[in-house]
Amino acid sequence: MSDHKKRVMIELDNVSHSYHSKRKSFDHGKHHVLNRVSLQLYEGDTLGIIGRNGVGKTTLLQLMAGILAPTLGEVRIHPGKSASLLTLGLGFKPDLSGRDNALLAAMLQGSTRKRAESFLVDIAEFSELGDSFNEPVKNYSSGMRARLAFTTALMTHVDVLLIDEILSVGDAHFRGKAQAAMKNRITGEQTVVFVSHMADQVKELCNRVIWLDEGKIAAQGDSVEVTDTYTQYITKARKAGAGQPA
Amino acid sequence: MPFSQYFRLIDVMARMALRADATRFFLGYIWWVLEPLLWVAVFYVVFVVLLGTQQPDFLLFLATGKLAFVWFSKSVTQASSSIVGGRGLVGKINVPKTLFPMAVVQECMYRQVAVFALMFTFLLSSGYAVTATWWYLLPLLVVNYVMIVACAFVGACLVCLARDFTPLIALGMMFLMFTSGIFWDVRGLSDPHKSEMVLAMNPLAFVVDAYRQITMYNTPPDMLHLLTIGAGFGALLCAMVLLMRHRSQYLALRALTA
Repeated sequence: MSDHKKRVMIELDNVSHSYHSKRKSFDHGKHHVLNRVSLQLYEGDTLGIIGRNGVGKTTLLQLMAGILAPTLGEVRIHPGKSASLLTLGLGFKPDLSGRDNALLAAMLQGSTRKRAESFLVDIAEFSELGDSFNEPVKNYSSGMRARLAFTTALMTHVDVLLIDEILSVGDAHFRGKAQAAMKNRITGEQTVVFVSHMADQVKELCNRVIWLDEGKIAAQGDSVEVTDTYTQYITKARKAGAGQPA
Repeated sequence: MPFSQYFRLIDVMARMALRADATRFFLGYIWWVLEPLLWVAVFYVVFVVLLGTQQPDFLLFLATGKLAFVWFSKSVTQASSSIVGGRGLVGKINVPKTLFPMAVVQECMYRQVAVFALMFTFLLSSGYAVTATWWYLLPLLVVNYVMIVACAFVGACLVCLARDFTPLIALGMMFLMFTSGIFWDVRGLSDPHKSEMVLAMNPLAFVVDAYRQITMYNTPPDMLHLLTIGAGFGALLCAMVLLMRHRSQYLALRALTA
């Protein structure tokens, strides 16, 4: 199906985002994250967003999820559609057990308590946490946290999945298993925005890619073309950096 | 988010926090009763043993005031840092920001049930009887709860705007503790006009006094005054809900970046 016949799920129109930081190292304390970004996400799309650390990838996802509002421009989400951001890290309440965190996450995404509880067996099994599933998350290793985060995310059912770097951690065995599960999900009708700094992963999973650099869209289009251009740019930048006198 | 889901989430978050808290301490749930008991023990040492207070039932007077005040102070203080403290979730999902202070208020309410049970046990074991006047506790508890929720929302928003409000709120609670007649009787001031002024100006002093009037002196509170306080804080509560709904993304930005 060509893009213009598909339903637009999320549209960003000339979106800029900035905030005031306590540190005055930016523009009088104003930190410009995104600058006039426009994009459309179509139903069933798997859109990849690549770019170096700190170029505004996570902020872009937070704008798409409606967590933040743009400073300028407009974010339009198709009425009645839910977008959920799946990210690793700080979302957990460290004093609660893995089970409670998973239950809470599912309920916050809109599941009833009964439905959320029905996910728990699958989450415990897929995450391979064993008895640790009932231990407080503060006792988890970073790999265990990653496994719990990914599995909880996998079990949620929303219209648009916004995935932030979620496949880039954990041990090799779990990463392979997670990537296969995610690929299975993506090849269905699921609309996905996938953020990563790993170009190969993006190339494999996405049909369209946006390369974000310094808050602007540097390139967008076919996943192979854009990721190859990005990889060449990164390689060149690394060589230039290595060639500079110390 | 549907209302039913919102209230279920508040309940689940509160219960989870209570369970997590209980597992963190060796004495677990015993702390719910032990903490207020220790408060009373401290009052006994200071006011009865050291200062030798002669006023009859002064210990009970202190305990009733303090244990009623603790509900307000703990709820508001803890709820104030709830949005900032929950920024991990705030940055992940667009949920109503009132959810965070409400979960804390609910958690404190569950704890307060144990505290009130202890307070009533003290009263009954000291010879006070349950009378028909005790029915007035129901509207009093409702007004007290509305006050707590409204102030918890204000505190949570202020701390989002600037972290500096955290110590200021703690200081404010200390100020309220000393000005709400916890350690002294509002009605015992030498100038009756001053008593009236304290009760009129400080709604918390009125509420603390009303608990004592009902349970210790078998006197109903001034219902018009109580309803006025309830209506005032009810209006503040509604305004805060609208504000927090309208400025939800701004609060998220402040919680994530400030």
